[in-house]
Amino acid sequence: MRKSTLLLSSLLIAGSLLLSACSENGNTDAASTDTPANTAATADPGAAAGGTEAPAAPAVVPAGALSEPFTATDLTKLPAVAQKRTDTIIVGLTDPSGAFTPYFQESGYDGNVSSLLYASLVTVDDKGVPTPELAESWEVSADQLTYTFHLRKDLKFSDGSPLTADDVAFTWTIQYDKAYDGGSSLPSLKVKGGEAYKAGTAESIDGIKVIDPQTISVTLEQPNATALVTLGSNVLSKAYYGKDYKFGQLEYIKKLHEKPLGDGPYKLEKFIPGQEVRLVANENYFKGKPKTEHFIYKTTTGDAWQFLETGEVDYASFPATEENIGKLKELGYVNILPYTPSTYGYMQVNLKHEQLKDKRVRQAIAYGLDRQSIYVDAAEGAGAVANIPASPISWSYTEEGINPYKYDPDQANKLLDEAGWSVGAGGIREKDGKPLSIHYLASKSKNSDIFIAVAKENFAALGIDFQPEIFADFNSLVSKTESGDYDLVSYSTSMLTDPADGFMQFFDGEITDYENPKFVELYNKALATTDIEQRKAVYKELYQLFNDELPIIFTNYKKTVYAYNGRIQNLSVSPFIGLAGSLPNWTLK
Amino acid sequence: MAADSRVSEITAPRVNLRKSSLFRQSLRRLLHNKLAVAGFAVVLFMFVLCFIGPFFSPYTDNKINMAMMNKAPNLQHWLGTDALGRDILTRVMQAGRISLTVGLASMVLSVFLGALLGAVAGYYGGLLDQIIMRIADLLMTIPSLPLLFIFGALLSEWKIKADYRMYIVMLMLSMVNWPGLARMVRGQMLSLREREFMQAAVVLGLRDRRKLFGHLLPNIVPLLIVMATLNIGGAILSESVLSFFGLGVMPPTPTWGNMIDAANNILDFQERPWLWIPPGLSIFATVIAINIFGDGLRDVLDPKQKR
Amino acid sequence: MSTYLTKRMLYMLIILFAASLLIFCLYALTPGDFITGNIKLTAERKAELREIYGLNKPVLERYGTWMNNAFHGDFGYSLAQQKPVLQLFGDYIWNSFLLAAVSTFLTWLIAVIIGVISAYKQYSWFDTLVMIAIFAAMSLPSFFIGLFLIKILAVDLKWLPPGGMMTTGSNATGFAYFKEVVHHMTLPVIVMTLLGLGSLTRYFRSNMIDVLKQDYIRTARAKGLKERKVLFTHALRNALLPAITLVGFELPALFGGSIIIEQIFNWPGIGQLYMKSFGLRDYPLLMGFTMFLAILTVIGTLLSDILYRVADPRVRL
Repeated sequence: MRKSTLLLSSLLIAGSLLLSACSENGNTDAASTDTPANTAATADPGAAAGGTEAPAAPAVVPAGALSEPFTATDLTKLPAVAQKRTDTIIVGLTDPSGAFTPYFQESGYDGNVSSLLYASLVTVDDKGVPTPELAESWEVSADQLTYTFHLRKDLKFSDGSPLTADDVAFTWTIQYDKAYDGGSSLPSLKVKGGEAYKAGTAESIDGIKVIDPQTISVTLEQPNATALVTLGSNVLSKAYYGKDYKFGQLEYIKKLHEKPLGDGPYKLEKFIPGQEVRLVANENYFKGKPKTEHFIYKTTTGDAWQFLETGEVDYASFPATEENIGKLKELGYVNILPYTPSTYGYMQVNLKHEQLKDKRVRQAIAYGLDRQSIYVDAAEGAGAVANIPASPISWSYTEEGINPYKYDPDQANKLLDEAGWSVGAGGIREKDGKPLSIHYLASKSKNSDIFIAVAKENFAALGIDFQPEIFADFNSLVSKTESGDYDLVSYSTSMLTDPADGFMQFFDGEITDYENPKFVELYNKALATTDIEQRKAVYKELYQLFNDELPIIFTNYKKTVYAYNGRIQNLSVSPFIGLAGSLPNWTLK
Repeated sequence: MAADSRVSEITAPRVNLRKSSLFRQSLRRLLHNKLAVAGFAVVLFMFVLCFIGPFFSPYTDNKINMAMMNKAPNLQHWLGTDALGRDILTRVMQAGRISLTVGLASMVLSVFLGALLGAVAGYYGGLLDQIIMRIADLLMTIPSLPLLFIFGALLSEWKIKADYRMYIVMLMLSMVNWPGLARMVRGQMLSLREREFMQAAVVLGLRDRRKLFGHLLPNIVPLLIVMATLNIGGAILSESVLSFFGLGVMPPTPTWGNMIDAANNILDFQERPWLWIPPGLSIFATVIAINIFGDGLRDVLDPKQKR
Repeated sequence: MSTYLTKRMLYMLIILFAASLLIFCLYALTPGDFITGNIKLTAERKAELREIYGLNKPVLERYGTWMNNAFHGDFGYSLAQQKPVLQLFGDYIWNSFLLAAVSTFLTWLIAVIIGVISAYKQYSWFDTLVMIAIFAAMSLPSFFIGLFLIKILAVDLKWLPPGGMMTTGSNATGFAYFKEVVHHMTLPVIVMTLLGLGSLTRYFRSNMIDVLKQDYIRTARAKGLKERKVLFTHALRNALLPAITLVGFELPALFGGSIIIEQIFNWPGIGQLYMKSFGLRDYPLLMGFTMFLAILTVIGTLLSDILYRVADPRVRL
């Protein structure tokens, strides 16, 4: 009896771990900044590398009560432990598992680590524009099918061995191996000859050509606006990772996960499972050895407060509530950076259900839900209401011609009346004898509790029967969604880099019932060009279409603050690659 | 030995009369135990408060008031308000209805199941014992986490309303949780079976049922009472775990367990004690009162006690 | 006894076999699989990966494969961590064991002492105070006690570290390392001991009260033995005997890890790993770990049955 009771209650906290799992599973090629449910526990310096050419992106949007970065007021308050560190910076990370090989890792947290161990060919700047990294320059053919990369001279892996085009070719090739089980998006780029290689009918991939040790080109079967960044990711050493490679056999790589050989600013010193990832500066880094000798990712699953307050970590992120910001300012020794992750929250609508096929019903829900109360007021300012499938930090973001769907129960009731749903017995609306009932799914979190509490009142005022259901983890939520037994289900996107990513759910099979030729036409039109102004115009049209049609109901944006030891200099946050870009330059004052 | 006198009591004629006077005698003894009476009074008070109290509250448990978020206790809201401006006092009382029901029901259920199966296994021994105990062994190896998820999926599939799910799950959990208690009861039975008074009962040629219910069970009642009362607190808290897995009550319906859970971070813990002290104190008061009452009951019912 | 043992061993094998099948099916039936949660993948890629991992095969076939490999000592690779399952156990289980072993020892020690004293002084103020403290600990969830102690002892007073197993970046070895670990495990051990104390103390108290009423205690006192001798030699031994059977049940708990404590105190234990793996549906790791616990549970039950017989020879097994 004692055992079972204890076990049962121990499952409780466990749940919060389950929730954070959703962000761990979703990313492989680079780390995600889709912050887990208990944001406070995690820092996500790495972020998905990606994005296309972009003009000046709007500055980082102010979060909550904090609109400007805040500088530490009194560094003498810094705990002694942190005071003593002179050549080491410690950042908390939820759960690095030790699989540090890019393309093969399953957890986004391992991605955070490998983003420091490996440099990529191409990176993106603060505005999302691709910039040279290991590749000095590149060309894209006129038909947008062939990409040619020119590597810098004298590139070295951290063991001093040279990095050449052969390594790049090897990196791309093994992702087409039939045994490759990672989640990289490279295979979906459709490199010419990739399928033949996978089937085992070709010795090598046709489309990949090593021209000389510094030059490599690759040809795709169809144009893709995100190809440059996907191709231009990390490079694996052929001499190290390819030594034992035989087609169809990739098992051996698992043994190398804990002994990574990279070319990034840091190299692995020691991995202590469940505790620390210790990194040491790489003297062979092509931009020169980083200024701070040691960098440690500390596994932190608990409340981040306790570690920041005792000086055990130098950096942590928190939801941008007024209270959090106030408390952080009070600490005195932390700098605070406001940050809006480039994600958005939405409710997936079951378009198979007759009642929701009617646009007016979807619009009535948007009007009838008090999103301001749920996502802004109850979240104490750590959020904002969303109305389009793009984050406010995206260059494509616009509010022009966008209906804000301000909370308006009268308008909602009017729309429902128009749609033929009239109030029946018990105050519930009916049509053709069928009551208007909404079966809502969400994963367990404080926010879902708030949503359900408010929505219950809101829907009652509209005469809609509201049936909420809660799932303890992401996996069971998704599988319930896949079963089709729902009306609405709350989700949040993962990190969006290109505006096209904001529509991903309509293409990777999750939402299959939205058929609108106009949408597909506009979507393709936006991807067919690389001219930003043209794309912007097309996206504006798309956003207006979605804002009116509501094939998904938009809910919210999150707002975060980063707090870090005031002694750290040169720290900056990019909306697209997070901290990874500035990290090699961090120094301790 | 005290037990010997009991044998003669029961084998004596005019059993019914003796029994009723025994009951009256026990009741009198119980009423004499001031502490036990006080415990019972507190339990009763909690029930009255939770089941009648809400009718006198000007608020309803789920009424949201964004203008009154996270207010400390004041004249309008005696115990303050939560993150959605809901009145804590009203919610604590409402929550008690569910928590008390769940706590008591699940306690009774698993104790009943555990005691019955354990007693049968220990008393009859042989094949029956083997079957029961090996099933218990098997059940003890099963991890509860996937089990809860599967329950959740099944109940969701069967479209059982969220608010009823909890009772079904409580039932299922007792089905899974009995082995620990059953083993303990069985152990007691094994050693009781060898005691002198039982040998006497065998010599006297008493029927099985009489031996089991008349002589053996009364001897394990004290153990059962201790186990049962100890577990009430755990049961009330574990309800919040069930809610967490989508198996318990659905928010916004409050329970003591999920009200405490809502304050599961260092900031709420530190800055807003009114969020967790009222439900915490309610559980505490209930648990301690039930245990004190249980102790008193134990003393009265224990056949080994001197009368 | 030996025929009994042989028989029990046989039963154990059958139970473990049945348990493995049951557990495998449970995990397989849990909604969602390792691929489901990865929402970035297209439907085709999902199907491809399920093919690679064999997740599209019938449950029984998968079970057969797993069982066959397990018999050959191969428990597979964790899908999420990409490491052999056994290596992961080695990395995490001992950390959990350390916490559990120390706190179990302390729990038993303290529970016996308090139990004896409060039984001896039944209804005294000491007894009442202890009872209230025990119930207080039982009515608050463990994360509260954990948060409270972290707040007081780590954040405000800075006496103890707020979590982890060693000072970040430390290269201490030998005795210095030992000291560091002891320093870090103090808080979690205190909390775990507090949590376990309640029911065990009540158990000892009630056993002791029973024993103190027995005739042989009266005889011992009548013989004029010193009260301390009566209490600690005669009474305590007899009160402890039934508790011996509980020892077997502690076995799986020693290695199973504690999810809440490990999370609050950032302890690198197996409980956390199991929880995360469950969230990801990392089948090889889940299966391996649960079977490991099942084996310990079955051994523990056998152990407690045997100990029971040793403790009370009158009992026929």
